[in-house]
Amino acid sequence: MARSAQPSETKLSHTAALILQALDAGFVYGFSIMEMTGLPSGTVYPAMRRLERDELIRSQWEKQSIADAKQRPARKYYKLTAAGKITLEASRRRYPLLERLIPTEEAKQV
Amino acid sequence: MKPFSLWTRREWARRLFYCGMLRCAGLLVPAPLRTEWGREWHSELWHVRLACAPLGAASWQGEREVFAFCLGAFQDALCLRRASLHPRPAFMAMDGTARQCILVLVGVLAASYAIALLLPGVRAERSLGPRKVTPGLVMIEDAAASDDAYPTISARQFGAWTARKQRYFDGFAFYRVRQEAVETELAADRGVDRRTWKVAQASPNLFALLGLPVRFADAATENGGMPEVVLSETIWKRQFGADPHVAGTVMRLGTCIVRVAGVAPDGSLDLPGRVDAWVLRPVAAMDSGTPGYVVGHLTAMGRAEMWAPRVHITANMPEEAEDDLLGVSLEEWGPTPVAFYLFALGLALLALPAITSVSLGESSLNAHRTSWSRRLHRWSFLGVKIALLLPIAYLVSLDLAYGFTSLGRERAAYIQLASTFAMTLFGMRWVLKDQRQRCPVCRRRVTHPAHVGQASRTFLDWNGTEMMCMGGHTLLHVPSLPTSWFSSQRWLYLDTSWNFLFAEPTRPTP
Repeated sequence: MARSAQPSETKLSHTAALILQALDAGFVYGFSIMEMTGLPSGTVYPAMRRLERDELIRSQWEKQSIADAKQRPARKYYKLTAAGKITLEASRRRYPLLERLIPTEEAKQV
Repeated sequence: MKPFSLWTRREWARRLFYCGMLRCAGLLVPAPLRTEWGREWHSELWHVRLACAPLGAASWQGEREVFAFCLGAFQDALCLRRASLHPRPAFMAMDGTARQCILVLVGVLAASYAIALLLPGVRAERSLGPRKVTPGLVMIEDAAASDDAYPTISARQFGAWTARKQRYFDGFAFYRVRQEAVETELAADRGVDRRTWKVAQASPNLFALLGLPVRFADAATENGGMPEVVLSETIWKRQFGADPHVAGTVMRLGTCIVRVAGVAPDGSLDLPGRVDAWVLRPVAAMDSGTPGYVVGHLTAMGRAEMWAPRVHITANMPEEAEDDLLGVSLEEWGPTPVAFYLFALGLALLALPAITSVSLGESSLNAHRTSWSRRLHRWSFLGVKIALLLPIAYLVSLDLAYGFTSLGRERAAYIQLASTFAMTLFGMRWVLKDQRQRCPVCRRRVTHPAHVGQASRTFLDWNGTEMMCMGGHTLLHVPSLPTSWFSSQRWLYLDTSWNFLFAEPTRPTP
């Protein structure tokens, strides 16, 4: 699905690969990705919009009741799609240091 | 977080400031996306402030981080704005392709042609270029005349020349211009239109001598003995609404009743006098004293003697000694804009090797043989680029040189020469450079330059720039410092083992 959905995106930039890796590692909203990657907001949010447009990630608003219970505004969470996971695999082969920079839970356990 | 009631005035001010920044950035976001975008950024801002500058524990560092976060909203908003202005699929799919390059060049060519059509100076220059007049025509005037625009030859002098046998001329035509009142009949219920025109009294052979076709002349065969008048194209369009049945129309010109014999084309010959209408009548019937203009047609012997655009002529008169006259050629003398263009183009081609390599850099690192069809496509692409660049340079140079009518022809020629030289020289440099950076397989421009190696290790290994074909066909290696073993750029053709580098399978080759 994803490969046909992104006909012109032949390869992923370092930034996009880093964001995909951060999402996979469990950092699922913009600010946490900023904190994890050290990238500024002006880079992270536009990159996430492009990834969402290319259907590599998808977003979902948190339920208002949960936010109300915690006395804070609702957050927008991002999640990898199946195509995003495949692309991330290709990016990990291309950038071997990616997993060392942001280890996933499975990698940490190993 | 503290409840709102416990917030200090400074905390309110900070909150209002950051929210204001986000609202300002939100104005850049396309309206349909604005609400969702604003909700996400305001929500994130809440969390950022909590983490960086919590209430009651404000610090300069924390505020700076929150401020930097809010600045990022402007970048995000601008990205969304750009994405909405340039729909991605059509543009991105063509980015860097040969088709995009050709389309851009065609667009520039069309724009420069449209500008050339719009600028009156360029239009006039183009209309002067190919004059459709009989070769060997000269305007004869008194040698003492200070200005070609004033008439100097009388009908008596003209009569004397035509009566004598001539060696250098085989035909003369005479005309003189004066203001005359004109009355033309309008439509049945609109009465008579009275105006003043510049009317030329001309010998009947004028148009035949000039080689100018008189339009609609066949329609006015029956003139009923009335003098004939030939209208200028401007008057025909302005006064008669470009009526194709104008021939045969009867009108009053001064004290005479005349009949329209046809329409003379404008712009084909720049005769002095700026005439609105030509009344054709024998010179004998004209006032012999008033000066006029004389056009002569040279014989082959006369043309051989015409070595310059202006030559002195001596005419023997019956009762007087001789007339000292000047013959001014009506043909184009000196280089035309096309000649200037070709000269500058030649110079630019000679200078080209001095500013860039003329090699197309097609050598490869691995033993790869490009097929004939791909080579043909590559060369055709180069040919099309050059074929589009050359007319662009010609038209833009005309626009620059002749667009401003206040500049004289001499200054315009210099501008055209300089602009043509610069455009063709740097244009050809761009064509060659662009060609060297086109993938030999798909003719797409290579991108993503990456510096490889270290300058300090030049003699141990190569260092330079590596660029990649977005289709995954090739890598281009350009050395920073040409060495005996790596003097020019080389292509590395990628086989299927490189596919893992690309997020999608390699693009099919065209």
